[in-house]
Amino acid sequence: MRAVVKNHIVVPRRTDRRFYGHGIPGVDLEQLAGKLIVVEGADGSGRSTQIARLVEWLEGTGHATVQVGLKRSTLVSEELEKAQEGNILSRTTLSLFYATDFADQVENIILPALKAGFVVLADRYIYTLMARDIVRGMDQAWLKNLYGIALEPDAVFYLNVPPEELVQRTFAKNAALDYWESGMDLGFSRDMFDSFMKYQTTIQNTFRGMQTTYGFTIVDGMRSADAINAELQKKTNAVLAGK
Amino acid sequence: MKTFAELNFPGRLIAVEGLDGSGKSTQIYLLKRWLELQGLKVYLSEWNSSELVKTATSKGKKRELLTPTTFSLIHATDFADRYERHLVPLLRAGFIVLCDRYIFTAFARDVVRGCPPEWVRGLYSFAALPDLTFFFKSDLEVSLKRILEGRPQLKYFEAGMDLHLSSDPYESFRIFQGRILEQYLAMSTEFNFLVIDANQAVETQQAVVRELVTQRVSLANFNRDERRPAKPAAESLKKNKAEAPRQ
Repeated sequence: MRAVVKNHIVVPRRTDRRFYGHGIPGVDLEQLAGKLIVVEGADGSGRSTQIARLVEWLEGTGHATVQVGLKRSTLVSEELEKAQEGNILSRTTLSLFYATDFADQVENIILPALKAGFVVLADRYIYTLMARDIVRGMDQAWLKNLYGIALEPDAVFYLNVPPEELVQRTFAKNAALDYWESGMDLGFSRDMFDSFMKYQTTIQNTFRGMQTTYGFTIVDGMRSADAINAELQKKTNAVLAGK
Repeated sequence: MKTFAELNFPGRLIAVEGLDGSGKSTQIYLLKRWLELQGLKVYLSEWNSSELVKTATSKGKKRELLTPTTFSLIHATDFADRYERHLVPLLRAGFIVLCDRYIFTAFARDVVRGCPPEWVRGLYSFAALPDLTFFFKSDLEVSLKRILEGRPQLKYFEAGMDLHLSSDPYESFRIFQGRILEQYLAMSTEFNFLVIDANQAVETQQAVVRELVTQRVSLANFNRDERRPAKPAAESLKKNKAEAPRQ
């Protein structure tokens, strides 16, 4: 990638911040000067590549960054991992466990970083968590209340890649499909390939359904990584300019 | 919200609530023994006891990692695990399920910690209401004395130190428990608490509890386990010494 040589560093413009719902007690939204950018998409949609490139570009243009993602909290990530391996938790429990993991990162990473004026890049956010639960029949009003603790991001990019392509990309990396990413717990099919296709299609439809409520940008993930990143940079620039 | 009876579950759920040191665990244990000795199928579930979630909770507490929001969520996770894997299936199978603390503990504590009441109630909206809820109402001073005499070392969250009410753990505990009591009393009518005067003798309270259970649950209609002889009391007794404060 071409190094950034010009020394014109943009200070992000402050914009209004909101929680989706009841929020987190004791948080002064006025103090959150940084920006929160979310990249959503299935495994294999190019999220990590795009985030890595955004980080490089942001740091090159003088912005401090922090990354968060699902199942990365100090508090419960190990236990959550263990629970998933054994497939022993019921729906509501798993959902609340993920919400705990999310809340821990909001309070210990996202909020302090935003207060310090960082650009926070989230590798998935509440939308994936909600979509997974909606597909499994959880009550939407319940989920909306639960995730009322989440901050509204400044931008959400959803990398859209059709399941046919996702499966090819997954196999290019390793020769097996992931149990959860195939939605095997839903019992669509005992055939993992079939289940994967059905599950990913259902998740994508759910994301499309959520798009109107949460207003995220659907990004065509079938283009080259460069082309996608150029689009993300342009939109991130708009966020930094407070648009 | 409906009770399990209203939802046509064959089983019944009886919950006890009260401050740490109110004697509620002793009372529910004695209720359990009484039901078991009649050959009824009984299951006792304690707050914060789901195996998997417990390791995360204790880590969070030990390292003081919990905020009001994560404190609330991790306890809701624990409750959901017990609810979905134990309580509901057992109630479907016609058991009498006894709960040492139920959702009202969360309603009281989390709100005292500053979580929005509607949010907390929303978290637990998947749970049905108990068929009977006993509230052991003790004088604040009596409960405090009992806890403070038995367990001089108060833990950080147990004493509500995270609320910064006082730098002295004992003073903090007093204020914290006082606020929880206010929350309980405010919920009492809304959730039909059966209020038991916990300043009375253990036996007096137990007599009232058994009487109320007899009146409100048709015990004669419940499955009895004919094969299993009633368990000797000694086995569970050691677990039930003085009620230790638990969060």
